[in-house]
Amino acid sequence: MSFLSASALWFALTIPVVILFYLLKRRRKVHLVPSTVLWQRFLTDSQANAPFQKLRRNLLLFLQILVLLLAVFALARPFFSDQLTGGALQVLVIDSSASMQSTDVAPTRFAAAQTKALELVDALRDSDQMVIVVAGAQTAVVQSPTSEKAVLRRAIRSIEVTDGPTEMMEALELSKNLVKDHPSSEVHLLTDGAVSDLGDLDQSELALSYHQVGERGNNVGLVSMDVRPNPEDPTTRAIFSNVVNFSTNSFRFVAQLKLDDRMVDSRVVSLEGGGSRSLAFIASQRTNGVFSLLLDVDDDLGVDNEVRVISLLPQPAKGLLYSSGNRFLEKALRSAGDLELAVTDDIGFSSDEFDIVFLDNLQPLEWPESNLMAINLVHSNWFGTWETVEAPTIVDWKSAHPLLRFVTFDDVEIAESYNVRSPFWGESLVESAQSPLVIAGEQGGQRRLWIGFDTIRSTWPLRVSFPMFMANAVQWLNPSLAKSEELNVQTGKPIQVVIESAEESLSVVGPDGAEEEIEYQSESRNFVYGNTLRRGLYQVRAGSEAFQFAANLLNAAESDTSPRAQLSLDGGQQVEATLGARADLEIWRWIAMVALVVLMVEWWYFHRRTV
Amino acid sequence: MENSLLDSGLLRRLEQLQMVARRVAKSSLRGERRSRARGHSVEFADFRNYVSGDDLRYLDWSLYGRLDRLFIRLYEEERELPVTLFLDSSESMAFGTPSKFDFARQITAAVAHVALSGFDRVSVRSFPMLEANRVRYAALRSVRGRQSSLGLFEQLTHLVPGASADLNEELRRGAIETRQVGLAVVVSDFLDESGYEDGLKALLSRGFQVMVVQVLSPEELNPSVFGDLKFVDAETGAAREVTFGKFRLSRYQASTAAYIQQLADFCRARGVGFWSVSSDCSIEDLLLKQMKEGDLWR
Repeated sequence: MSFLSASALWFALTIPVVILFYLLKRRRKVHLVPSTVLWQRFLTDSQANAPFQKLRRNLLLFLQILVLLLAVFALARPFFSDQLTGGALQVLVIDSSASMQSTDVAPTRFAAAQTKALELVDALRDSDQMVIVVAGAQTAVVQSPTSEKAVLRRAIRSIEVTDGPTEMMEALELSKNLVKDHPSSEVHLLTDGAVSDLGDLDQSELALSYHQVGERGNNVGLVSMDVRPNPEDPTTRAIFSNVVNFSTNSFRFVAQLKLDDRMVDSRVVSLEGGGSRSLAFIASQRTNGVFSLLLDVDDDLGVDNEVRVISLLPQPAKGLLYSSGNRFLEKALRSAGDLELAVTDDIGFSSDEFDIVFLDNLQPLEWPESNLMAINLVHSNWFGTWETVEAPTIVDWKSAHPLLRFVTFDDVEIAESYNVRSPFWGESLVESAQSPLVIAGEQGGQRRLWIGFDTIRSTWPLRVSFPMFMANAVQWLNPSLAKSEELNVQTGKPIQVVIESAEESLSVVGPDGAEEEIEYQSESRNFVYGNTLRRGLYQVRAGSEAFQFAANLLNAAESDTSPRAQLSLDGGQQVEATLGARADLEIWRWIAMVALVVLMVEWWYFHRRTV
Repeated sequence: MENSLLDSGLLRRLEQLQMVARRVAKSSLRGERRSRARGHSVEFADFRNYVSGDDLRYLDWSLYGRLDRLFIRLYEEERELPVTLFLDSSESMAFGTPSKFDFARQITAAVAHVALSGFDRVSVRSFPMLEANRVRYAALRSVRGRQSSLGLFEQLTHLVPGASADLNEELRRGAIETRQVGLAVVVSDFLDESGYEDGLKALLSRGFQVMVVQVLSPEELNPSVFGDLKFVDAETGAAREVTFGKFRLSRYQASTAAYIQQLADFCRARGVGFWSVSSDCSIEDLLLKQMKEGDLWR
């Protein structure tokens, strides 16, 4: 047995002080009695009867010295060296996402998780190390491995809850890397379980303990909101949103729509437990502004009850169709609205004054620098190599993408398509069994839309989805509308916009009023800002130019705050919520406890003899 | 009869009582108590042969007629019973609520009243000798007659307790100094370091019929002071250091009870009447019940 703080043994020098106090004459209360005869007899009797009389007289002294010895022993923090095996590594993953702001556990789930984390720190063995990882929109290690409990506590207290979603996968992958070389390790997951998909994680080599916080899911939230030109009346705006009740209670509340803090519309919404409702508003808008939708509902999570969307007025775009003649396409584009379309088959066309160029089946001399839609063309810079596929079957499409809004590819047959691999900048929206068929993305600040087959040689133009897709494409490619979309991000996701400014630095003022200076490379014209952890409006100033963008939660997984007793992982693995925390092996606590018991006995005895 | 010691109701009931003197009175003065001496009462005692010089008035003529011999009728001489009351008025008696001394005075007054009502002679010996009480002593000795009660009570009322007493010495002196041996009633707390045995033995050997009344205060029987204490004896000034708590109370009570029992055993072995009372108990109960049952009076 050794001592962690052997210098505390010096406290043993206080024992003579106790003895000295004992040697001093006790001050007795003087009491006049008629006669001491009875007391004399009493003393003689009790001394004759009581065994260990000498010991009894000094019992208090012995008890006091015993308490002192035990206290000094505990202060010296003894431990057994043969119990010191190689220290284990504990990884503490704290969920700092929006759902942790739920108030079902007072004061918040996040505060409860912090308390739990501090308990785990308390229970940390002295030989163990702990890493603290924050799992929010961005995963971060806030404290590298250490055994210093004070440092760990400070790190835990410094974590702040955000309005963003949880990237739990990322945090767990990071944990996996952290514990990779440690023979004994544990990962403690402090979360409410409101996380998006964990399915891909293989946790077989991870000793995962899931400490669940949260008691009930009593929440109503906005999970989507979108401001678009009204398809029936292009002069007005249509606001579509989706409200979901994630609890089992029914709610009745008022949804208010505001434009720049002016009330535009309000609606009473009743939602059964587990129900959802689409809300559609029509509003006229004369200048660029901010639509905000507010749910006046009393639930546990307030973050998802308000959404602000920046809506820029659409500017009609100038479009050029380079085609040898495609009536279906031309008609679809012309009816899309907000587009002045010119058609040419001149190979020497100039794209300088056009916002959007549509290339249909004709290879240009030079690929335009503007927003672009290319049909049945391949660009060697994009794909490198390619083949062709006969009669590909469409197997999947991403209907969540704005380009595929109201678009389905049922009953669409294609004669032939290119077989390419998705370029780094693009996202495959429609896929055949072999190859992507529609790719959309952004390259050098410009939007690119690629359709990998000849529409004429397919049944698509005969379907309703074709003009719908073209209308979506015109909107998506319209630089002004594209910008409007870019200015609305999810919390925790970075914003990326192109701005024209000669300034070297920009300032961003967040929703909480905090100002931040950002370096800006004027030659790339690309403004990227990632610190969007708070929901609300952010003001960006670059010299004389200023604009704002909005960050909103709009995340169904975060809004679904119902507590989960299990986290489901890959291949049916499940992590149950654990309750226990491991005990400390240092023995000073036990000694201190014994000292306390002895002290209580001493106190009891002291009182028993005089009271 | 107004006095501060005993109320008139109690006094009237006491007047109906009669002292039981187990020993026949030895007093030389005539009284109302049977004595071994033959005299001139109406109670017939015995016959004896006539010798010349006897009073012819006591000749039994009817016996002479039957037996033709002369007999003298003897009658009992009724004499008084001298009652000596030993009242402890040392400093230790001043304690207690109610005060032990007040209680002892009441007992003394009651016994004196019963005795005086029976035309017996009463002497109250208050000890130790105190300058403050000196003027009272003469008036407390050899009191006789029913009407003297009030005067005796008056004197008792004015006694003050004080100083230290040696019980043995006081009793021994009392035994020697009393000319007429009779009933001796000792009222004290019997808390004397030198004991009480020698004094009581001296009284017994002088021929007294002895009655003992021990008066203790409730505080002595059931102390309520706890802690680290230093008890100072009010009489001797001696100090005892005691650490006392509730858990030792029963042991104290046991030791006190043993002390009282020791005194009781001593008395029973010698035919001495014994009562031990707490100063807060009822005086009526003691006088009219316990002492009646104990054959002090009937």
